[in-house]
Amino acid sequence: MMRTIRRAVSPVLYRIERLDEDRYGYLLIAPMFLVLSVLAFYPLARTFWVSLRADDLYGTEPIGAFEGIRNYWMILSGDANVVLSYPFFSLENPLSSALVVTVGITLISVVIGTVLGLGMAVILNKEFRARSVARTIVILPWAIPIVIQGMMFYLLFQPSISSLVEPLHDLGVLSANPLVSSRDSMLMIILIDVWRKVPFIALIIMAGLASIDRSLYDVAKVAGASKWQQFRLITLPLVKPVVLIGMIFYTISSMKIYGIVEASTGCSTVPTLTCLVVDTFRMQRWAMASAIAFLTALIIGGIVMVYLVQFRAGVNADE
Amino acid sequence: MSNPVTTDAAEKRGIVRQVVDFLVSEPADTYRLLFYVGLVGFISITLFPFYWLFILAVTPRGQLRNMGLVPEGFNPSVFLTVLQEYPLHHYIFNSIVIAGITVVICLVIGSLAGYAFGRVEFRGKGPLMLLLLLISYFPGITYLIPLFEMLSGTLTIGVFVTPDLYNTPWSMAFPFTMLSLPLTIFILTTFYSQIPDGLEDAARVEGTTRLGALFRVIIPLSAPGVATAAIIVFIGVYREFFFSFMMTDGQPDNWAVLVYGILNFQQQHTELWNLMAAASLIGILPVALLVILAQKHIVRGLTSGGLKE
Repeated sequence: MMRTIRRAVSPVLYRIERLDEDRYGYLLIAPMFLVLSVLAFYPLARTFWVSLRADDLYGTEPIGAFEGIRNYWMILSGDANVVLSYPFFSLENPLSSALVVTVGITLISVVIGTVLGLGMAVILNKEFRARSVARTIVILPWAIPIVIQGMMFYLLFQPSISSLVEPLHDLGVLSANPLVSSRDSMLMIILIDVWRKVPFIALIIMAGLASIDRSLYDVAKVAGASKWQQFRLITLPLVKPVVLIGMIFYTISSMKIYGIVEASTGCSTVPTLTCLVVDTFRMQRWAMASAIAFLTALIIGGIVMVYLVQFRAGVNADE
Repeated sequence: MSNPVTTDAAEKRGIVRQVVDFLVSEPADTYRLLFYVGLVGFISITLFPFYWLFILAVTPRGQLRNMGLVPEGFNPSVFLTVLQEYPLHHYIFNSIVIAGITVVICLVIGSLAGYAFGRVEFRGKGPLMLLLLLISYFPGITYLIPLFEMLSGTLTIGVFVTPDLYNTPWSMAFPFTMLSLPLTIFILTTFYSQIPDGLEDAARVEGTTRLGALFRVIIPLSAPGVATAAIIVFIGVYREFFFSFMMTDGQPDNWAVLVYGILNFQQQHTELWNLMAAASLIGILPVALLVILAQKHIVRGLTSGGLKE
């Protein structure tokens, strides 16, 4: 049995053995390429194609005739807002429009999260006993299921059971039931997002800190620089490229925010871009949903470009 | 005449000044103080929501009102209730099976591709890696509609109709493979490329084939890297929300995963706060164990995958 198998396989192995480097490389990535073509490249192309079609709410198939960029135009001009469950972009009521809510959450969360992440990275980079315990604790929020991240804070801001809500209400920070007010829910979503992503960006920054040449600090100490000066003049400039990379990942992930919203306040109070796509998809408006999905991707692409320009500028300034 | 208010203020200023004087005159102690304040702050903020779940879970339902920092009463049977009356373990089992399937697919395909990217020189390597990066950049929603068509059996290719996989593990394992494969490949590429060429050459001189060298030398030597990739893919799938939410109808017999196990409590009419909290704690348990056991691997994997560019 084994011998027959070996006999059948050996010419194939012999053929593989004789391939040149190029062909061998292509052979090895072929399974990956095949899988990703079916599961990633085809869906992307299909989504784009569907976004150029009309919605057909009454036909057997939800996709109608070819219409070019009409869906995109309707979304951007606001004509599509009447058929969406909440507007894509509107100036009259910014807190209920998906774009403003998503960009707002992302912007605030990234700024706060990056500053805290930098602090956490500096602290956890120091040598101290129980450092690995501290690291373990600190990674937990990142690792736990997204639905539970949402659930935790949903329970924390539940006015009937939490004694946290009333004092904050008396101080004027929150309304009596923060889970139904758009503004309060947005603050809560930002809080969850910061809480769960600080460890992630801190880890990335820590990798950057580890690669800084320790002797620079010795020189600074001899020259009489204080700890703060060392941080500002050595750590910060050297770690900046890594921080930017961390911020790119953070931003991309926050722009897609959906799970913690669905698990805590619900999409009707905090309408993010992904919420809008899912709701539109559920209304059988597949073409419109695809167009919003692609617009989201384009917006994220634009933001990433801004970061990359910053990154280039930083790297060039060093040289 | 001395005004009591101003003396009070002066006294306060005295204390503030003393503190400031101390902080300025002893900079080393100041930094140590800041360090401990920061460390304790980060750890307590991180752990507080977990502790909050614990308080809510063990407090009997009748006493759940305006909860403070200590539980009112102690009712550990809630953890059994969650498992016995609601099939939470069934959802968790589904999650683990689907995560396991995804890990196996990703490691097999990712090992071959990671070896190619890490150790074989072929044309078009750079652009192909960029293509991988591009996949992980597009939001999940841009893949949703075609994957839904494909996996729910409504897509026709000529005369063929794709099989209806909705409500099976595959309707989630395939999207998860797509989401996890790029990161798997980045992690494995890093690890495989670090193995000295000499070891592989030695194996080849001994008479192994190229593929044999991959399976007998490279993969065993980078076992930590393979473990790292497996752990990170597992956690990534276990915590995923979007496709888990969209690709089943929420019945545990139809392979609904933890997402529904938790959300089900929210859709009940009565307010089962203590059950929600207990279910969340149990749902955290598998990943918490993984994080505790494999913290070093996770840190290394995330940073090597994240900084690959």
